[in-house]
Amino acid sequence: MSAPVLQMRNITKTFPGVLANDDVSFDVHAGEVHTLLGENGAGKSTLMKILFGLYQQDSGQILLRGETADITSPTDAIEKRVGMVHQHFMLVPTLTVAENVALGLPSDRGLRTDLDAVSKRILSISEQYGLQVDPDVEIWKLSVGERQRVEIIKALYRDAELLVLDEPTAVLTPQEVDDLFVILRQMTANNTGIIFISHKLHEVMELSDRITVLRNGRVTGDTTPAETSRQQLADMMVGREVKLAPDKPVQDLGLVRLKLRGVTVKGDRGTIAVDNVDLDVHAGEILGIAGVSGNGQRELAETIAGLRPAEGGSVQLDSTDLSKANPKQSRAAGLSYVPEERMKDGAVGEFDVSENLLLINHGDKRFLRRGLFNFDAIRTHCQKMVDDFAVKTPSLTTPTSSLSGGNIQKVIMARELESSPAVLVAAQPTRGVDIGAAEYIHSQLVVQRSNGVAIVMISEDLDEVLGLADRIAVMFEGRIVKIVDRENATKKDLGLAMAGAG
Amino acid sequence: MSQFFTLSVLIATLATAIKFAVPYLLAALGETIGQRSGVLNLGVDGIMLLGAFGAYYTVLETDSHLLGLIVGIAIGLIMGVLYAVVTVFLHAQQGISGIGIFLFGLGFSDLLFQELVGTTKPVKPLPTLDKLPGVGGIFEPLIEIEYLGPLLFDHNLMTYTAFLLVPAVTWLLNKTTFGMNVRAVGENPQAADSLGVSVARTRFIAIMFGCVLAGLAGATLALQLAVFQHNLTNGIGFIAVALVYFGAWQPRWVMAGALLYGLVTATRLRWQSLDIIPQGASDIAAMTPAIITILALVLLARRARGPAALTKPFTRH
Amino acid sequence: MRLTKLLKLFSMIFAIALVAAACGGDDDAGSVTTSECGSDLGVAMGDSVTDLSVALVAPSAKDDVAFTQSMVDSLKRLGIDPQITDGTFVVEEAAAAIRGYAEDGVNIVIAHGTQYGGSLAEIAPDFPETSFIWGTATDTQGLANVFAYYPEADQGGYVNGYIAAALAGDIGIVGPVEAGDAVAYIEGFAMGAQANGASAPSIVYTGSFSDVALATTTAQAHADNGVGALTGTSQSAVGAVTVATANDLPWFGTQSNTEAWSSDLTVASQVYHWDIVLSDMIEQIEGGTLGGEAMSLTLENGGLVMEFNGCYDLDSDIRDGAESIIADIIAGDITTK
Repeated sequence: MSAPVLQMRNITKTFPGVLANDDVSFDVHAGEVHTLLGENGAGKSTLMKILFGLYQQDSGQILLRGETADITSPTDAIEKRVGMVHQHFMLVPTLTVAENVALGLPSDRGLRTDLDAVSKRILSISEQYGLQVDPDVEIWKLSVGERQRVEIIKALYRDAELLVLDEPTAVLTPQEVDDLFVILRQMTANNTGIIFISHKLHEVMELSDRITVLRNGRVTGDTTPAETSRQQLADMMVGREVKLAPDKPVQDLGLVRLKLRGVTVKGDRGTIAVDNVDLDVHAGEILGIAGVSGNGQRELAETIAGLRPAEGGSVQLDSTDLSKANPKQSRAAGLSYVPEERMKDGAVGEFDVSENLLLINHGDKRFLRRGLFNFDAIRTHCQKMVDDFAVKTPSLTTPTSSLSGGNIQKVIMARELESSPAVLVAAQPTRGVDIGAAEYIHSQLVVQRSNGVAIVMISEDLDEVLGLADRIAVMFEGRIVKIVDRENATKKDLGLAMAGAG
Repeated sequence: MSQFFTLSVLIATLATAIKFAVPYLLAALGETIGQRSGVLNLGVDGIMLLGAFGAYYTVLETDSHLLGLIVGIAIGLIMGVLYAVVTVFLHAQQGISGIGIFLFGLGFSDLLFQELVGTTKPVKPLPTLDKLPGVGGIFEPLIEIEYLGPLLFDHNLMTYTAFLLVPAVTWLLNKTTFGMNVRAVGENPQAADSLGVSVARTRFIAIMFGCVLAGLAGATLALQLAVFQHNLTNGIGFIAVALVYFGAWQPRWVMAGALLYGLVTATRLRWQSLDIIPQGASDIAAMTPAIITILALVLLARRARGPAALTKPFTRH
Repeated sequence: MRLTKLLKLFSMIFAIALVAAACGGDDDAGSVTTSECGSDLGVAMGDSVTDLSVALVAPSAKDDVAFTQSMVDSLKRLGIDPQITDGTFVVEEAAAAIRGYAEDGVNIVIAHGTQYGGSLAEIAPDFPETSFIWGTATDTQGLANVFAYYPEADQGGYVNGYIAAALAGDIGIVGPVEAGDAVAYIEGFAMGAQANGASAPSIVYTGSFSDVALATTTAQAHADNGVGALTGTSQSAVGAVTVATANDLPWFGTQSNTEAWSSDLTVASQVYHWDIVLSDMIEQIEGGTLGGEAMSLTLENGGLVMEFNGCYDLDSDIRDGAESIIADIIAGDITTK
């Protein structure tokens, strides 16, 4: 067997106060998909930045095709046939596909561009790998999936023998993910080595030839899909036993608590974002709303929360009409809202933890004494909330922005659930949250369900929806295109509906 | 009124508009290149003033228009290096740095003028085609052509240079690797950087283009007017920057804006000279060129979305 | 800031390289003079009339061949070499300079710009020991330590217009902003021209005192319209003079002697001799009266001087006619308003 395409040997990298990579060894052979799995902060991206020349390791060695390689810049990495598809695409939206591909490469015609020749080669690459794309169209006109293909083409055009894909499925619909996997398999068949970075366990199990798990900068597992399971992978990532799907007691549906009829909402650009939506959410039910981001979920959630006026239709909570309500009236009626953009809409970053916990009910008599804050009462109350929701924070006076995403989300959840709401709208409750915190947030949603709260959970993560929801509605272009009970839902059907083909 | 709508007066007005537009066009084309690379230069007016004084003084001393224009270009280069070092390599805030360049140009050109010249003495203006030494005779019959002659041929070489630069800059931006790099670093410098395009180098060269054209614009202004004075440009450089914005960063719309500005200015002065605009309305009349040009460009070239990285200094992490 | 340092460095270099300009010419009085063709137009420093310290704040450059230069030249005739802050078209800057000079204990601060009036009303009461001289203005805003001055610019305008009409039937005027002595000059000019048989001159106000390009374009429009003579006022008029030169059109100047711009085509210039009123004011100040009076420049008191260009071959009949018009204006037989 020939030398691996890539060998990273005993890589150690420290930043002030942080050991980002601790003696990490890892290799990739030609024609295999090697997955790097780990939580945020486990050291995956540091390792890849070292590979791509953006950082230099403190110690350790990189070998490409068996030879020691000194990679000092992205250009250097590209020249050594390492390609990278960044999670945030490195594309110039106003340039065409061909221009994006040709960027940084010398032209055969000196000063003038040779885009027709570039286009020709792009077409032959796209034929070879099944990467459908028009070389002459500007990037901004392309869908997210197509943009990703351009990124892959950029690497292939530069004869990459090793391709790093950083969370490539995060932005794709299930069908697009399937398409991507077909392309990646085609590439491995052509002897390209692939490093696949993901935390979606079923994708990792489906695609990988080998899996390396990182935790706190160290390798905690080196395995293959045949030798492991999703549960084991999750445990290796978190370092303890994790409940992937919460236990959900069987319970009967209660009365309808939230009722939407013909709700129509305009988006920020003045176009219709939510189009004539009817929904009933029952007490003790989690209604999952699935869909690719940008299909009206955010606007729908904001309208229910009273943050965005509806153009038409009605929103009713129990017997209260909330169609024209402001956020304060909605809350008074028993509605709680965990927004999608937690740092923008959910919490005030520069406020400390207790201030964020008290953001809504700071006027409550419990916390006042003769019109001034009663800090003792506030401290006691907030400490209890922090304890109840297992928020990991150095103190109550720590600025909220310095907490991790999962802990900020717990602070918001604690605040929103403190008032014992009738209806909870949770948008993307675990996006960007590590597995441990996600597990906790999921268990809290189930507790609320048992308490008879009607829950609307918006998520782009189909696994999350399938794991938690009692019923699933799919949004596409502002409309509810499908609504099914969990027992009757399959991933394939939901995926098709999310793409508008259901 | 009727006097204005005779063909010869219309033609004369158009020809004036074309001449008037030239410094605006040169400066705005240069600024277009700079802004497409993501660098705003509010110092254009100051560089124009320095270029204008340099060219005027050179012609005053040497009588050579060519030398004057070369000095204008050289001053543009020097100021370009200064501005590029400050904004690209030292990552200074572009708006403030540009104002600094403007104030320097305004003050320093005046200082030099006071010390070296004092009272302005008119120099020879740039010769029109028919007065070009040696070859002027060839153009004489062309200028005699009724209507078309004065419109198209009664101009100096800088007028033709400026208008030929419109397709040239378009070509540079759209058909060359340099232009592609300029557009890329102005839109998404991180992406360009990840492919080995040097953001600093690309912006540096784009700034050079911009400042050289600003220097040349100033030189052309001074040699068209054949004089220099304190603040000779009277804000032409700032209007040029505005033309780039309202012209949607596209050379042809920038040209349309410069021409329209020239045309409205020439027309309002012509109308005032023919008493079509009454006395007493001169203040309002003086505002019309800017208002009409901005309105027209906003309506016509409104697909404008500036380079996404405009005014943003680039650092790697 | 890095730029100021550079500026200082450069100014030092140029201060070293500064070449002193020689001054010559004679000191003339009276309402009519003729320059000697080819002579230096520079005004010689006269014998000093006062020991008081004087400062000047003016909107345009001190050698603008227009409004500001007329004041600098006038002070020279009085043997005064003032501290100067020029180019302060921005009123806030001028106000700061005026206050600064007063704080420094300068005896007489000349605020040479109508637009400085508002600032002066605030500053003058703070410095009751300082005398402020302000123009062009027809009153002192009731301030005891302010003198005001203004030119009856319509008088010289009338004379210029009268001469222009003898040379051309259609005349173009390039005006700056529609205000102050510019309006007086231009309306006097139009009156004089029509009195001598010309059609009503075409008047354009460009909207700017300083925009040379607009003045040039305006003058070109006049030339395209077929005028036979041009006049204009403010420092931007230099642009109109270049058009006059290119089209061989006679030019009439005002404020300062515009022969500096065109020694061939300037026929005559109405020159402001502020020294006539300034010497009066300085006398009063030395006598303890720090202000309270507005004084005007006229042909009669010698504050307005018609300077004929010795290089321009003006028909002697026309010249004689002009001089009799001047006499009539002085005598009050002709009104120019």
